[in-house]
Amino acid sequence: MLLFRAEEHIDRWCRTRDIGRGATLTPEQGWRLAYDWYKNKLKPEWRRHTLEETEALLASVGLAGPFWNLRD
Amino acid sequence: MVHMIQTSGQFDAFSRDVRLHVFSKAAETGGIPQPPEIAAALGRPQAKVEQALRQLAADKVLILAPNDGNIWAANPFCAVPSPFRVETRGRTYWGICIWDALGIAAALGADAVIRAACGDCSEPMLLEITDGKLTRSEGIIHFAVPAHRWWDNIGFT
Repeated sequence: MLLFRAEEHIDRWCRTRDIGRGATLTPEQGWRLAYDWYKNKLKPEWRRHTLEETEALLASVGLAGPFWNLRD
Repeated sequence: MVHMIQTSGQFDAFSRDVRLHVFSKAAETGGIPQPPEIAAALGRPQAKVEQALRQLAADKVLILAPNDGNIWAANPFCAVPSPFRVETRGRTYWGICIWDALGIAAALGADAVIRAACGDCSEPMLLEITDGKLTRSEGIIHFAVPAHRWWDNIGFT
């Protein structure tokens, strides 16, 4: 996932690679997502998030809909 | 970077030791130790370390480089310079993407300055974390790949 200056930069990046546009987050959403995802990563007792925990995390920062669906 | 979902989830004791060593060194130094250094530090054969790293990669704890068995990323830390540079605690770190760059500040629990570049035009962009808050930011984060396919090609994701 990349950072872009503006919407038209995303559009150009997608167009030049001939790929469809994905989904966008604000930097604040990205920070909240990254914080909850990684805050325990260095702790000895760390373990991966479960599917359900990941779904709850995405929802907690407002990421919902088919693009964010984790189940095939 | 999300580490999903269908993995063994089982770490043996040595894989756990390798994980703790890799991540503690990455946090402490900004550099990621590679198999020879890990083997020397833990006093175990390099082949055993490489086996543990393959297990950790299969469990999506870290990412190996395609051809040589070295660690590319112990997320959120990247082993090589990238367009996502994080300055914190007097050191420089790199993330493989903007999520991981933010994740470095989260994992370290430290104030940080993130020097990124626009994915399109490469213009510099700046974000800052202060006291656990995003205090300066610009731009828009774009996910090109739907969530359930992130690990199909994690390098592209």
